Amino acid sequence: MLQIGVDTGGTFTDFIWRDGDKWGEYKLLSTPDDPAEAVLAGLRYIGGDRNIHLVHGSTVATNAILEKKGARTALVTNAGFEDIIEIGRQNRSNLYDLTCRRNPPLVPRDRRFGLSCRVDANGQIVESLADSELQGLVAKLRDAGVESVAVSLLFSFLEPQHELQIGGVLKPLNLPISLSHQTLAEFREYERTSTTLINAYVAPKMQTYLSRLQNEIGKEGFRIMQSNGGSISATTAMRESVRTILSGPAGGVVGAWRLGSLSGFPRLITFDMGGTSTDVALIDDRLPLTTESSIADFPVKVPMLDIHTVGAGGGSMAMVDSGGGLKVGPESAGADPGPICYGRGEHVTVTDANLFLGRLIPEQFLGGGMSLQAERVAAPINRLANSLGLGGEELAEGVLAIANTTMERAIKVISVERGYDPREFVLFSFGGAGGMHAAYLARGLDIPKVLIPQNPGILSAAGMLMADVIKDYSRTVMLPETEVSINKLDRLFAPLEEKGKTELHAEGVPEGEIRLERYLDMRYRGQSFEIMVPESNDWREAFHCQHELLYGYANREREIELVNLRLRSIGHPAKPELPELEPGGSRPPDSALLGERETIFDGVRQRTKIIDRARLARGNTVQGPAILVEYSSTIVVPRFASVEVDRFGNLLMTIDA
Amino acid sequence: MEYNPILLQVFKNRFSSIAEEMGVTLNRTAFSPNIKERRDFSCAIFDARGDMIAQAAHIPVHLGSMPLSVKAALAACTFAEGDMVMLNNPFAGGTHLPDITLVAPVFIDGSPRFFVANRAHHADVGGMSAGSMPLSTTLHQEGVIISPVKLVEGGTIDRKLLQLVTENTRTPDEREGDFAAQIMANRVGIRRMLELLAKYGLGEVESYSRHLNDYAERITRAAICEIPDGEYRFTDYLDGDGLGNEQLPVQLKLTVVGDTATLDFSGSAAQTRGSINAVRAITVSAVLYVFRSLIREDIPTNAGCTRPLQIITRPGSIVDAEFPAAVSAGNVETSQRIVDVVLGALAEALPDRIPAASQGTMNNLTIGGIDPRTNRPFAYYETIAGGQGASRERDGESAIHSHMTNTLNTPVEALEFSYPFQVATYAVRSGSGGEGRKRGGDGLVREIRLMSDAEVTLISERRLNRPYGLLGGEGGMPGAQVLVRDGETEALPGKFSRHLCSGDCVRIETPGGGGFGIKDK
Repeated sequence: MLQIGVDTGGTFTDFIWRDGDKWGEYKLLSTPDDPAEAVLAGLRYIGGDRNIHLVHGSTVATNAILEKKGARTALVTNAGFEDIIEIGRQNRSNLYDLTCRRNPPLVPRDRRFGLSCRVDANGQIVESLADSELQGLVAKLRDAGVESVAVSLLFSFLEPQHELQIGGVLKPLNLPISLSHQTLAEFREYERTSTTLINAYVAPKMQTYLSRLQNEIGKEGFRIMQSNGGSISATTAMRESVRTILSGPAGGVVGAWRLGSLSGFPRLITFDMGGTSTDVALIDDRLPLTTESSIADFPVKVPMLDIHTVGAGGGSMAMVDSGGGLKVGPESAGADPGPICYGRGEHVTVTDANLFLGRLIPEQFLGGGMSLQAERVAAPINRLANSLGLGGEELAEGVLAIANTTMERAIKVISVERGYDPREFVLFSFGGAGGMHAAYLARGLDIPKVLIPQNPGILSAAGMLMADVIKDYSRTVMLPETEVSINKLDRLFAPLEEKGKTELHAEGVPEGEIRLERYLDMRYRGQSFEIMVPESNDWREAFHCQHELLYGYANREREIELVNLRLRSIGHPAKPELPELEPGGSRPPDSALLGERETIFDGVRQRTKIIDRARLARGNTVQGPAILVEYSSTIVVPRFASVEVDRFGNLLMTIDA
Repeated sequence: MEYNPILLQVFKNRFSSIAEEMGVTLNRTAFSPNIKERRDFSCAIFDARGDMIAQAAHIPVHLGSMPLSVKAALAACTFAEGDMVMLNNPFAGGTHLPDITLVAPVFIDGSPRFFVANRAHHADVGGMSAGSMPLSTTLHQEGVIISPVKLVEGGTIDRKLLQLVTENTRTPDEREGDFAAQIMANRVGIRRMLELLAKYGLGEVESYSRHLNDYAERITRAAICEIPDGEYRFTDYLDGDGLGNEQLPVQLKLTVVGDTATLDFSGSAAQTRGSINAVRAITVSAVLYVFRSLIREDIPTNAGCTRPLQIITRPGSIVDAEFPAAVSAGNVETSQRIVDVVLGALAEALPDRIPAASQGTMNNLTIGGIDPRTNRPFAYYETIAGGQGASRERDGESAIHSHMTNTLNTPVEALEFSYPFQVATYAVRSGSGGEGRKRGGDGLVREIRLMSDAEVTLISERRLNRPYGLLGGEGGMPGAQVLVRDGETEALPGKFSRHLCSGDCVRIETPGGGGFGIKDK
């Protein structure tokens, strides 16, 4: 069986494949106008006419939202509440911007339709939905020429009757319809409506795209990566498209989670530094989930892997502000014009600073496939340094130090601010630029070990191949703890579990291999944020403990409120196993040493070994200072660190205390 | 003084990250929706003299007033390690009684070298009406008055004091939860400051806190330099104090010379009987907010920002009220008018950058009573967004909070789960923005049906004086409010407190923003 993981990115479409014991990778330039083109070309190249199993992370849904190129959608809601999606939470994103504008809603006012009907907070229908309203709606939607419909009514998660009635009456229109109690059966109307609307907005695009791929490769074994870290069938992804946005970064985190556990490190902080931004996530034995994500400022409340992004990357530009301060990012030189050393940029970037200090080897960049113009870098760096009264090297190290504080801050947000001590974790570094910063970041955070996988540039595609089949379900119940017993929980979970089993079975997972995980969202009565805790007999105590971990205190006297039930239905498809390397000695082979060159670490100029990572064997160790080069990344090992190759070919870096 | 620009940036990130982490802690651990869902709080770090080093950007109205609370705490108490001082007295470091501040020292080698503080709006602090935003005539009607006093001593909470305070509120349980969150936020701030000090040493941290003040000062001066030198005057009016005193002027003479600005509010109305008096701290906050908005850079908001500004107020006036004036609404309403006046004066100098008036009110609605479902008392407070003023390049945004507040709304479903209300309408108030070449943003309509008897209080502005337009743009539509009872509607004044019955509906329509420029025919 040929298994292929495909991750469509902004610049490249990455492929990783496995055929029996054989593994391979392949990269093609993406084809943004028709992403399927690059995907199909790659599949033909790798698989020819063979039957394949494909897991694909697509950016079609994401781009439809970012570029406002989704379907012509209508929103049906309660009369008097048509503007909920426009009002949002009534706040502005920038406190000091006198002319701050919001991103306009995906559906303009003339395609939002209000119906007179109402359910109250007890789930009672206090105003029923008249037939005349329903018939009028059908006519209006026909006239509006819409391509999809989102229906979101107040308290529909308690009493879905009205949404179902509307769904029924709209059936003859033959359009994709998203009902809010099915997309997200949770309270907070703005967030639920936004999630449902995004689903309706992107579903037709996904249908077109996935149908095209399906025609070529067949329905069987065609799976789509979701942002929750699991995959679903392409058929399901056409209906539940909102679950696929941000699937690329999710692939990377799943890959890190699998490789980390294999290597004996179940607690990781992932660090994915790219050209314009850096993604970080914290893995404490399990995949981290959040329900507080957003895209283009629109909330998306379906569970997603909890990935925090900051605007610091290789392309981040260094600039002096009017107060004489040096700032780095979030403005980025991007790929065009790019850093100065790419040939056209004018602003000093993080990549230029690395090159200036000798940490990036111009002739080894992308395996020598792209030449860097080192000679362009010195003058602008010295000019910037002079304007601040600094030396060039001092400035370059300063630019890196400032970028590092931004990334350190991102890691603190996901660790310290949530009650975790980063020192107990291993830093898992991937992405193009991560290897040049990982050692410094680890030192700044007192993290003792860094793990760097093979092919760190295509980890996302690899992670997709390693993903489970996962479907998430939730429901707001809003019950005081006094009304909750284990028996009652069983009763409440029963319909979700029934659905979870049926739907996963339909995904092709044999009945005996479906695992159901129950979670409870809880809070102290009166609070307004919930904490997600795995369900257990001792769920109350589990909540108190988690509250204490996250917020520093628990109050066992206070009444707990059970807000949402959550269910993850999980199936484990056959997944590739990683081959182990033959053991070698601790001394790297002579052939791995590519040469030596001068680099600057902490203001000191020193001779530094340049090593070809591909030639290192299991057990080889390298003491810093050294620079390891490979096709898509560079790994800087400063004097205070050393690396060892583990049995899977990962590099394990140790930071001296 | 010599500084290293790299370390300056590193410290800027570190200080603001500590203030922000305090905010995250407070937000996550607090009990009342007011703090959690609406984020009506602020956190900041101060040096040994009480000069602000960094503040997490949450609520602008706390900008200028946080430093005064630290200075008031310093003047009143001798700090020992592990102490926290609590205060809300508007005439001793506070602004209005619901905003309670906790100040805590960071001790190094036996002396307090830094302070951390946070301020949170408590949904009820007692007084004459539920929600503590009453139509009062003296401070004593507005709730429990706390002059600086130690709530925590040597790490131990003074339970009796806490009880004394919380028992004087309508929701003691919730108050206690919020206090616990405030204490926790300060503890996080102290811990992080100690880590920073351990890493860099006292000397370095102290000198970079000074450098950061100088840095913010330089940037503020550079922004003032962009304003042409001259004298600019502007006057706008508050509708009234709700007790018959109407058309109260807020008057400004702004003088810009080089990189300094002098703002003279002496011509403003005398303090009045109703509760719209602002203490001086609020005026300072409003001015600071406007000048901070002129700065494009991402700078720390700290003591350096105030140095180039001279603010002149007349004690006993509506922008510098004296004890025992009623002040609960000065913080939320008069602060907005001060911003309108400063912007109005600047519009003449910087017509390309200054927008027309935004709604200029927060539409403070409080509803209190007994929830028939639980038989427990409740006190609900919310502010309602409105239209934003248009500017040369852009239409104003609709249904958004402007200027001195940025609090979130409470979701309809969260509201109905927690309180005996039903929301009947929540929509954009179409056509309420002022016409112009660029249109002002529209206000909001919010209609709430009471499901039990309750005491309803509204404090709002811009019901008579509409938000101004600029350069020929029309003003926004003023706000309105009606009571719907048994199918009959009754117009209500912009400031009222009434006992209403189950089944009654209160409908509030918020003002639109002003338009900009003459509309093309």
